[in-house]
Amino acid sequence: MNSRRVRLLGLLLALLPAARGAEDFFERLDQALTVSAFDDRARARLSGTLDLEGYALSQPSPGLLYTAGHALFNPRLSTFLDVQLGDQFYAFAQARADRGFDPSDESFEPRLDEYAVRFTPSRDGRFNVQVGKFATVVGHWVSRHGSWDNPFITAPLPYEHLTGIWDIAPPRSALQLQNWAHVLPTSSPALEYAEKPRRTPVIWGPSYASGISVFGHAGKFDYAAELKNAALSSHPEVWTARRIPWADPTVSARLGYRPNAMWNLGFSASSGAYLRPSADPLLPPGQNRGDYRETVLAQDVAFAWHHVQLWSEIYHARFEIPRIGHADTTAYYVEAKYKFTPRFFGAMRWNQQLFATLPDGKGGRAAWGREVWRIDFAPTYRFTPQTQLKLQSSLLHDPSGPQGHSLTHAAQFTLRF
Amino acid sequence: MTSRPLALFLAALALPALASAESVIEGRVALPKTHAAPVMNKRYEIVTKGGVLATNPPLAVVYLEGAFSPPATPPVVQMAQKDLTFLPLLLPVQVGTKVEFPNFDDQYHNIFSYSPAKRFDLGRYRPDEKPVPSQMFPTAGLVTLRCDIHEHMRGLILVLPTPHFVVTEPDGRFRLGGLPAGRYILKAWINSQTTLERPVELTADSVLHMDFP
Repeated sequence: MNSRRVRLLGLLLALLPAARGAEDFFERLDQALTVSAFDDRARARLSGTLDLEGYALSQPSPGLLYTAGHALFNPRLSTFLDVQLGDQFYAFAQARADRGFDPSDESFEPRLDEYAVRFTPSRDGRFNVQVGKFATVVGHWVSRHGSWDNPFITAPLPYEHLTGIWDIAPPRSALQLQNWAHVLPTSSPALEYAEKPRRTPVIWGPSYASGISVFGHAGKFDYAAELKNAALSSHPEVWTARRIPWADPTVSARLGYRPNAMWNLGFSASSGAYLRPSADPLLPPGQNRGDYRETVLAQDVAFAWHHVQLWSEIYHARFEIPRIGHADTTAYYVEAKYKFTPRFFGAMRWNQQLFATLPDGKGGRAAWGREVWRIDFAPTYRFTPQTQLKLQSSLLHDPSGPQGHSLTHAAQFTLRF
Repeated sequence: MTSRPLALFLAALALPALASAESVIEGRVALPKTHAAPVMNKRYEIVTKGGVLATNPPLAVVYLEGAFSPPATPPVVQMAQKDLTFLPLLLPVQVGTKVEFPNFDDQYHNIFSYSPAKRFDLGRYRPDEKPVPSQMFPTAGLVTLRCDIHEHMRGLILVLPTPHFVVTEPDGRFRLGGLPAGRYILKAWINSQTTLERPVELTADSVLHMDFP
């Protein structure tokens, strides 16, 4: 164990006794951070999480972890502002200070990740409209993507496994796409890491793109639709409205059905231009970015009863690529969480991603991405209502990758206020 | 008139006299300032019930401390969840009481407590769940209730070693009746940090006035 990890472990152990005796303090802090006016008709609350997380990994670094090393320490301070104005207006914002939107060995930076204003005309919640920069309505993972609510430290595979698609430029041929996906034996961890910032997953985490959404519920059905400035696979740096013009908006929707409190079923669809303006000179004559879209169909199911929770999602994505046609991929996961005691729970997740084939340039066909499966285990212990320690081990099976199998271990201490 | 109805008639005449033999303490507790109503986190959920939650006026619990025997059969009381709030927000119970937690909302709740006096997690349960989830409270102390799904929800159960307690009105007034004569300590629990106390001597059929400034 290197000195950095020893220091991290020491810091966590030092924090634990203090955290146990601090419940009253956090109650008073919560009251101090909640203000109201106009006879409680206007209220605001500031809250947040402090995450201290560390990773031990092998190269090439998996998913959305950006480091060329074998260990990564990633502290993250997230602050949330929730504002309620009467019955009808609600606003929220999330600001973070960390080493990048996804864990990396970059320097510490503050960032405003989410902000939105919501209007709810009637108290029954049948119709809401929201404007700003906020998480996508697609799928069902977004509601538990925060460090306190996510039983794991990392996201499910569809939200973080990088494909060979670049958003800054289209490939010139199917062979080049396969090179970008590093499906060929010549791939090396160093080259793969160097190209990592250019690649995109099917859906980038919670996808905090900018736009407008409408949502609500009617009986056992709920609905949500959004018009956003960036496709689901887009990099975080293009989520702000000023980075991408509104010429080719992404349209997404989800229809949900809750037969009872136990079950939550949903079907989502999304279509949007995924290439950035830098790709314009590389498009065929007469074509524009709007002609090349990422189309996603997804199904989600969630079940909960007493101490058991189950979730599953399946994503089918199609990227339309100039001169090549379309590249399809399917990714899914099944996740289970069980509370063993009031303070101790464990979670297990099976993830897999499959790729369709494209011509390999030699008269045959080959998959356009490395087919992988991954299994994640994560126990969590909650010391107090405000502090928890989560561990995670992930085994990635990547038979055509440089290593075949790789293990990633992670630990995350979260302080919630 | 037969002998049995006559006995009942005499007993009925005697009831007011018996009741008045018990003592009463009344008075007022100076309550702290009202906190702002909680703000619901609705960032990633389509919350169906309105956005304005009820203000939670501070309340106190006044109770008589002494050597009282535990109940022969466990009392059963309820602390419900309705409109994403605990109802009541503050529930005093005697040691050995069984508390039921019925869910009157149209969605799951997951009530839990990490308090040393009672640590439990009911898991996710439906509005129509039978039997109604419940817990026994065998140890005196303060139990803070939370919901694992709705982070703004807070409820308090104050487990007391006495059957003589009352929750104040929002203006701090209280009336604690049915008390036996004797020497006791009268306590006013105001919050987890503050419990005031006064010695009292109760005589039969008396009304004592006691304020907690």
